[in-house]
Amino acid sequence: MFRTLLATLATCAMATSVQAADLGAKDEPIKLAVNEWTGQHVSTYVAGAMLEAAGYDVEYVTAGYMNMYQAIADGEIHGAMEIWSSNVSEDYAKKVDAGGVVELGDLGLDAKEGIAYPAHVAEICPGLPALDALRDCAMKFATADTIPQGRLIDYPADWGTPGADRMSGFDLPFKAVPAGSEGALITELRAATEKKSPLLIVFWQPHWAMSAYDVKFVDLPVGNDECFEDPKWGSNPDATHDCDFAPSRIFKAGWSGMEEKWPAAFEILSNYTLSVEDQQPMMGAVDVDGGKVEEVVAAWMKENEANWKPIVTAAIQ
Amino acid sequence: MSAAGAAIAPLWRLSMGARAAFLTLIVGALCLMLEPVAPWLIKWPTGWVLPATDWVGAGLSWFLDAIKPFARACSAMLSYPMDWANMALNGTPWPMVIGLVTATGWYLGGLSMAALGFLGLSFVLVSGYWFQSMNTLALVAVSVPLAIIFGGILGILANEIPRVKSALQTLLDVMQTVPTFAYLTPILILFGFGPVVGLIASAIYAAPPMARNVMLGLERVEPEIKEAAIMSGGTRLQQLFQVEIPSASSQIMVGVNQCLMAALSMVIIAAVIGGFNDIGWEVLLTMRKAQFGQALLAGMVIVVFAIVIDRMSGSLAIERQRHDIRIVWAVLGIAGLFTALALLSNSLPNPDDLTLMNPVAQAVDQSLTDFTKTNGAWLDSVKNTAMFYGLLPLRIGLDNAVLPFTWGFSWTMAMSAGLFACAGLAGLLLAWRGRVTAGLMLVILMGMLETGIAELPWPFVLFGVAALGWVASGRRLALISVLLLGTILLAGLWERSLLSLYLSGAAVFACAIVGGVIGLVCAVSPLAWKAVRPVCDMLQTIPLFVFLIPVLMVFQIGEFSAFLAICAYAIVPMIRYTRHGLVETPGDMLEAAVSSGATGWQILRDIRFPYAVPSILLGLNQTILYAFAMLVIAALIGTTGLGQSIYLALGKADVGLGISAGAAMAILAMISDRMVQGFAEERRRALGL
Repeated sequence: MFRTLLATLATCAMATSVQAADLGAKDEPIKLAVNEWTGQHVSTYVAGAMLEAAGYDVEYVTAGYMNMYQAIADGEIHGAMEIWSSNVSEDYAKKVDAGGVVELGDLGLDAKEGIAYPAHVAEICPGLPALDALRDCAMKFATADTIPQGRLIDYPADWGTPGADRMSGFDLPFKAVPAGSEGALITELRAATEKKSPLLIVFWQPHWAMSAYDVKFVDLPVGNDECFEDPKWGSNPDATHDCDFAPSRIFKAGWSGMEEKWPAAFEILSNYTLSVEDQQPMMGAVDVDGGKVEEVVAAWMKENEANWKPIVTAAIQ
Repeated sequence: MSAAGAAIAPLWRLSMGARAAFLTLIVGALCLMLEPVAPWLIKWPTGWVLPATDWVGAGLSWFLDAIKPFARACSAMLSYPMDWANMALNGTPWPMVIGLVTATGWYLGGLSMAALGFLGLSFVLVSGYWFQSMNTLALVAVSVPLAIIFGGILGILANEIPRVKSALQTLLDVMQTVPTFAYLTPILILFGFGPVVGLIASAIYAAPPMARNVMLGLERVEPEIKEAAIMSGGTRLQQLFQVEIPSASSQIMVGVNQCLMAALSMVIIAAVIGGFNDIGWEVLLTMRKAQFGQALLAGMVIVVFAIVIDRMSGSLAIERQRHDIRIVWAVLGIAGLFTALALLSNSLPNPDDLTLMNPVAQAVDQSLTDFTKTNGAWLDSVKNTAMFYGLLPLRIGLDNAVLPFTWGFSWTMAMSAGLFACAGLAGLLLAWRGRVTAGLMLVILMGMLETGIAELPWPFVLFGVAALGWVASGRRLALISVLLLGTILLAGLWERSLLSLYLSGAAVFACAIVGGVIGLVCAVSPLAWKAVRPVCDMLQTIPLFVFLIPVLMVFQIGEFSAFLAICAYAIVPMIRYTRHGLVETPGDMLEAAVSSGATGWQILRDIRFPYAVPSILLGLNQTILYAFAMLVIAALIGTTGLGQSIYLALGKADVGLGISAGAAMAILAMISDRMVQGFAEERRRALGL
């Protein structure tokens, strides 16, 4: 039954792609940004494969995550498939205001950010993942840069300072040190795991390092908007930010001229979603098993047609 | 009154240096005394800050928008040669590329250079980064001709119109000292996206060495040659292009060589903004995953390119018999035959699938892990010692750095008083023995150590810099330095500048001592130089990002890691110039010393060293510039200060902040450059060189 349905859908797809009325300028390639991390590669190649199934020509363009918005506004890149609200460049909002870039809706990845530590740290600081354990063993995390406080590795300075906000929010004796880059964060995780040394770090998932270094999150009280505005909210009556991270949005964005030039592509990319359960195994197949992104994604596309075919079909009919 | 008069009267009998130091000391002491009543002496009040970065941002944005259409047209034009170069390099089968390079090597330098080319490119092939490497080469192939033309025009202009010469010199200084990260954002806005941005950035960075060498070469053309050209009745253009430039060609070829090296290093840095799948991008991707082995492998590809290009273009600068052309054809023939056979039998391996070096990379990675595991403990204590007793006091002063957690006790006012008393006594003792300047400097340095560089009162810094500039080169430099530093104060970048000054100052100090000693050892023992030289070559050409991983693994995020990373890069010129200066003593001086029966040690101390001072100072100057350049890269491992601001501005596409912080960095670098050069000039005059 299911197979027949799929077959019908596929035939429809083939039949309608010939009309191509909604496809727009389908002879010109649609350029998708390929950023610095594997998860984004997966999200982008899945989207690209969907566009190709609709009859488009797709080109993958190497682009720096922080600096690609000018290119999108100029129409030199047409889509970016995985933008994190937690570390999006200020340039994004500027370009959206100026009208060159439009948001294409949520990607659907369920992200979590938090104060994290590699599993072995629980032996050094018993009581983790409870937050209060940190209060007593802060000195175990101290280094020459932070003494007499403990050290918390915060996000690179251009992603904001959520770690520093939490430490002052919960009034914990930790000094937040900005990491400078994602590479520095990962190197800290690697070094701490190998040396079995104490480490407290601001981190997020989905990320390949979560499993590679067995990273755990500290339990933080769930908050709401009030927590970030009203000091009285939460355990610390004198400070805001005494709660967990606000859930990070992961969304897609594209060139504002896309809707006119490639209407069907615009619709496909707007409706496209990918879940953590789908993305994570593909990331593992690439980063851990050494597969090529294109091949891993092609295999997934073949097995999960029900997941994505309807979106393509709906857009080109 | 009379007492003051009595104190001032002998003041004018002192040397210039002593007078300057004395006045600086007074200003410093006044600031320290007034600190409790006038806190604005220490911290520049935020109310006095002009929103200069915003103005710069707004002005630049307007300007950039105005010339954007023109820039976009340039960008579109440049994309053609870029595509051609890419097609030529990536479209040619790899055996042909290797054959071509080997044949060129043979033609330029015989068997040894052919071997270098062959082995080098074979390494690139088996590293698995062939396509990315060809992309990088394509970038260099387009940006270097641009830089050569641009630099050549600047050099000829400076030679032809003496009035613009000093302005052009300053322009070249600015091009070389403003950190590249700072102007990547404007280039990105102007020229759009893709490889063109990296191309333009590397052309800007690579043009100054070309211009300088053209200038130098044209200046050095013998007057007789010029006169001969004039007498034979050539027009000015004919004189220039048919006589002067050909006779300056060997210096100009040195410029081409330097230009190539600069372009190669900049192409990697420009990869930070992404836009091209080149080797710099690969280095950054591997760094992001903390894979040291892979990052080193990708970095070694650049080192190989740098060495091959350096040696080949270097031999262009030396006029020499070229080698037998028949061998060139033979090599190309063999390569062609190999390609044809492989293609016909369909067995030419795809370079992407060649990953012969991966086990090596993994082994390197593993050895880094083992090293951190076994040596972590004692390296931690090295780091703590350096932080507690060196970097921290230097940054925030003894009064804040001495705590029960660090030194085991708290710093008290009495200790400050005691320290000043001791310094004063020692200073007096020195002054009494006739070394007034040294005595005064000792007291000033103690005061700086007590307060900490990051917390120095701004009037003291301004006055001290003016005094130094006055002694080094005269009133003009003093005035310019104060004016430029004043703009940093007004722009609100002062605290960050002091932090940068502290970190690079500490690194330069360490490099000067350690590099000086290594240079000395290399000068004495040729064997040591044989071992040190390849290390120096590697440190200078490998992408700077590669250093960051191992330093972080061992020493974690923080100032000490940044300090080490800066040192690793900035120490090289100090070693090179110290050795060079000590080795190049005039022969007749040495003979005179030997015949008067001096021992080897005496010759080193009394003959070689004094003659090496100008060269050593030049090395110090380069070390300072290198340290500032590396400061921006060190922002990737979390420093504070100007470097971080520039990096932040790049992420936010904030043109105003990026350019302002970049300008502040260039100001600091240029002031220290002029001062060291002033002192070097004075020494050279004293030696009669």
